[in-house]
Amino acid sequence: MEEEEQVSQENNEIEDEEASRELVVPGEVLTEEVQDFIPGRGTIFNKDKTKIISLHIGLKNINKNYINVIPLRGIYTPQPGDKIIAIVVDKNPVKYKCDINAKDFAQLKPRNTVKRMKSRIGKRNYDREELNTEKFDIGDILIVKVLSADRLNKPELTTIGKYLGKKNGGIVISIDPPKIPRLIGRNGSMIKMLKNLTKCNIFVTQNGRVWIKGDNIAYERLLIEAIYKIEREAHTTGLTDRMQLFIENEKKNRGIE
Amino acid sequence: MVLLIKDEYPEKLFQENGKRLDGRDKKELRPIKMEVDILKNADGSAYIEWGNNKIFAAVFGPREVHPHHLSKPDKGILRVFYRMATYSVFDRKRPAPGRREKEISMIIADCLEPVLFLELYPGTAFEIFIEVIDADGGTRCASTTVASLALADAGIPMKSLVTALAVGKIDGELVVDLSGIEDKAGEGDLPIAITWFNDEISLLQFDGEMDLSELDTILKDAKEAAKKIYEIQVNTLKNKYISIQNNIEKEKGGED
Repeated sequence: MEEEEQVSQENNEIEDEEASRELVVPGEVLTEEVQDFIPGRGTIFNKDKTKIISLHIGLKNINKNYINVIPLRGIYTPQPGDKIIAIVVDKNPVKYKCDINAKDFAQLKPRNTVKRMKSRIGKRNYDREELNTEKFDIGDILIVKVLSADRLNKPELTTIGKYLGKKNGGIVISIDPPKIPRLIGRNGSMIKMLKNLTKCNIFVTQNGRVWIKGDNIAYERLLIEAIYKIEREAHTTGLTDRMQLFIENEKKNRGIE
Repeated sequence: MVLLIKDEYPEKLFQENGKRLDGRDKKELRPIKMEVDILKNADGSAYIEWGNNKIFAAVFGPREVHPHHLSKPDKGILRVFYRMATYSVFDRKRPAPGRREKEISMIIADCLEPVLFLELYPGTAFEIFIEVIDADGGTRCASTTVASLALADAGIPMKSLVTALAVGKIDGELVVDLSGIEDKAGEGDLPIAITWFNDEISLLQFDGEMDLSELDTILKDAKEAAKKIYEIQVNTLKNKYISIQNNIEKEKGGED
């Protein structure tokens, strides 16, 4: 099977801090020792620079001398290079409009959907009428890469690249984007466990969408339940072991082996 | 038999033993109960029961602005829709949004805006829908409190939560947290909202008569009372996650 897995760069953040699992809310003072710490992700100085304050509801994390807050709820912000699942919602002769679960709709231009035509290389008399871009319909599910994304402009996507393009079959489910690192686990431990136990193909993306395809519908249903359970219990400790136990028990109860 | 209820206020707003009509002390709050994440389809949601007030709030966004001409190219906008149910007050309230609803929507948006980072989301809108199911004085304060809770639940970056309450003067005495009848029959009514980032006042309206020295005293009382409400807000937000952890530990204990 193809190794379809995107290992997040952030996936170690939640797992590394097993010791400190302090819940903080927006506006909560994280520390008053401003000399020793620097505000990191999800934090801010107050006006007089005497306190460091949290911006999210999340888990407090101290990394060297940086104080971070790992959010538990939030929205997906596209970054160039992310591989994500997009749904085509509109099309016209010059571009496709795609829903990527961010604040803006993204656009996919035909020049970014050019096919790799191996058969054409070396041929002299190929059919010039033949289109060399892929065609998509409204409602298609695509795996795409973000080419450019910033605060002001609409993100631009591409389907040129390894594993990218239209997906046929399978199920797509959505979870909260901040909980994706927990679904992957440290060095992909959680996702490997899920793949082995349920014999399904899983593709996890940064915008909170998960693509699933298995041989057996019973396994797919079990996997979907397991993923929603991970989302609900993402902030708790010992999740991987608990999930393994859960899936093994459920397999016995449902009589699938 | 026709039921006639006269629109009359009692002559005295204090009982003989010095307590208020509903049995509270001068600086005592009504019972408050909050919940978060109760509406499935909203990005963030919250519910509050403050005395007889029952209010829902739902947050959506950031998302596209409709109508599009309202969007701003350099920052996002915050839109608040405060609405009262027809059965929320004694006389049936007409469901169309009137002058009062539009004003309250505007002041809630204005007092929540300083804690948000709207410049990070240009061309989009955050939308807060507030539905008052039951009203008994101080709905604009309760709505502000519950709206900030819903924003935090949605995971939108915020400098702090916002807490609001009404203070005022009835029968010559300064009191905290006015109920509906005290609001109408009293001498002065002062809704106040506090953002805990640098302890700034985000909303201050005033209706009635009061000395300047009394104003100073009542602002201090208001801040003390707001701290109690803030604690409830924080605990509500945290309990959503702590309860899940506790349930798991209970199950583990049961198995062993």
